[in-house]
Amino acid sequence: MKFISKINKQYFWTLILLLIGISFIGYFILKGILEKELREDIFEKEFAIINEIRSTGKLPNLYPIIETREIVKLKAQPKSFNTIYLYDNAEDENEPYIEYTNTVAINHHYYLIKLRHSLVENDELIIAIAIPLLILLILTFAISYILTKKMNKTIWKDFEHNLSEIENFSFNNKQTLVLKQTNIEEFDKLNVVIKTLSNKLQRDYETLKEFSENASHEIQTPLSIILMNLEELLQEDIPEEALKYVVKSINAVKRLSTLNKSLVLMTKIENGQFNTNAKTSVNDVTKEKIEEFTPLFKNNNIQLRLEEKGEFILNIEKQLVEILVNNLLSNAIKHNLSDGFIHITIEDSTLQICNSGEKNTLTNNTIFKRFIKENSPSYGLGLAIVKQLCNLSKSTITYSNYDNTHCFTLTKKENNKNKLL
Amino acid sequence: MKILIVEDEVELLILISNYLTKEGYVCELAKSYQKAEDKVLIYQYDIIMLDIGLPDGNGLDLLNIISKTNIQAGIIIVSAKNSIEDKIKGLDLGADDYMTKPFQLSELNSRIRAVLRRRKFKGNSLLKFNEISIDTANKEVKINGIALVFTKKEYDMLLYFVINKNRVLTKEAIAEHLWDDNIDMANNFDFIYTHLNNIRRKIKKAGGNNYIKTIYAMGYKFTDQ
Repeated sequence: MKFISKINKQYFWTLILLLIGISFIGYFILKGILEKELREDIFEKEFAIINEIRSTGKLPNLYPIIETREIVKLKAQPKSFNTIYLYDNAEDENEPYIEYTNTVAINHHYYLIKLRHSLVENDELIIAIAIPLLILLILTFAISYILTKKMNKTIWKDFEHNLSEIENFSFNNKQTLVLKQTNIEEFDKLNVVIKTLSNKLQRDYETLKEFSENASHEIQTPLSIILMNLEELLQEDIPEEALKYVVKSINAVKRLSTLNKSLVLMTKIENGQFNTNAKTSVNDVTKEKIEEFTPLFKNNNIQLRLEEKGEFILNIEKQLVEILVNNLLSNAIKHNLSDGFIHITIEDSTLQICNSGEKNTLTNNTIFKRFIKENSPSYGLGLAIVKQLCNLSKSTITYSNYDNTHCFTLTKKENNKNKLL
Repeated sequence: MKILIVEDEVELLILISNYLTKEGYVCELAKSYQKAEDKVLIYQYDIIMLDIGLPDGNGLDLLNIISKTNIQAGIIIVSAKNSIEDKIKGLDLGADDYMTKPFQLSELNSRIRAVLRRRKFKGNSLLKFNEISIDTANKEVKINGIALVFTKKEYDMLLYFVINKNRVLTKEAIAEHLWDDNIDMANNFDFIYTHLNNIRRKIKKAGGNNYIKTIYAMGYKFTDQ
């Protein structure tokens, strides 16, 4: 819910409650005033009637408003007000009347005076109060709606602008966060806090990035020393047992180095350090890689079928496409069965690599995660790199398996701009 | 063959120069940008091994100087960074090869030989080992004068063996040499064995000796001793 709608909602309910309260109070006050006026009016009439009787001796009668007659005795409790209902021909319904009854003594005669006055009906009174209030309510909301709209365009405009700035802000493109001055104290305060926070985070991020980059690179030099020393040790005339240890150590060093390189590559992709305007034919790279891998296919008795239905161009550099295809193909060989198959299909914007293999429990969601490997002697980074390269080249990769066939499908996200080009 | 090794890590410098000296090269060492610059301005080298991550300067700048002063030198860039941009830049500036740390000495030797072959064509494209002769100019292998037909991988493997003769080479190192290091084929080295057998069979058929010795199922050594 928007801040302004929240305020409006609160405002709306408060106003309604307030108006209901005011209506009640108004109703009673108005009713009281009216009745008071009525009584005064009645007393004036009574006074006039008494004067009339006293001077002329005539008893005025005007049904149902004035009724006078002579009586024998004064009432114990004179002057009483009652509300009665009398049938009204004109409106064909019972109308409320206030009835004033009094007995007076004039010139040693006793008279009964009944004065009636039609009352304003309650529902009419309520309507009379409710209509102006309702109009007030509608007007208030109309005004607040218009004001909100206007405020959105002025006050909130800068805020929204800043919000989108923050949303689009990324530590990678080394830009500092530029926020607009809104001249609203709260918003400007927020801006200052966000700026301080983002600057600090950016500094930390740069330091961390630099550190991990340096660490990764610096690790390679001691690894080289270890590797070369071990290699020289291998040349010595040493017993088989000792040789085994040396070879194992060499392999572990290489593994460490490969792992490190893969992580550096992933970090670089994540940091957007690669050109995404290149044009590389997946067909060409795939064919090169197939040629390279042919001894492996033959060795594992894998049947390979390549189907080219179109030319698939990715907008990343050739080296990266090579890594992509390499990892997918290595994967297809590694997890294949002996006498299995690999089917590669290339279309205009799709590359599909299917291979036979044992059933597994991996799904599209887990297979591309780092260090996920099922009974595999590898590092579990190959497919994570593939996934990142797909993100970089604005394509998607999905994994599906059924029975003993595993398929990776790489699809380029087509956008109209590219189509036009 | 005169080689200049530019590397700021002394330990590495010594290891490489010891190895290359053993292989018959004359090595000169420079452990800083400044020293390397001094040397390339005065002397001529056949191969310059250049670490581009020097503490007192960027090795890529040195490339510019080398390409003016040591025109005939083959340049191999060595970097701790596996950086595609550096590689492209380096090769554009006239480097012949780009190696990423860590690398094995046998691989280095193989790369140096490849660069030398490409650079100095005249006459010495012939590599001999007893009855085996390899003409690297047209990738031809002859046993006692009889030409043999090898696949590309078999040829590469034999060449790697001959260049690194008398050295124990692990299966992993051979696989890496044949398929670059981005091949992630852990525990799948049977194909090396297949290639080896083909090489042995073809050489034997032509009347040659089997010089490829298996070292405890861990590696191989090409030797006549």
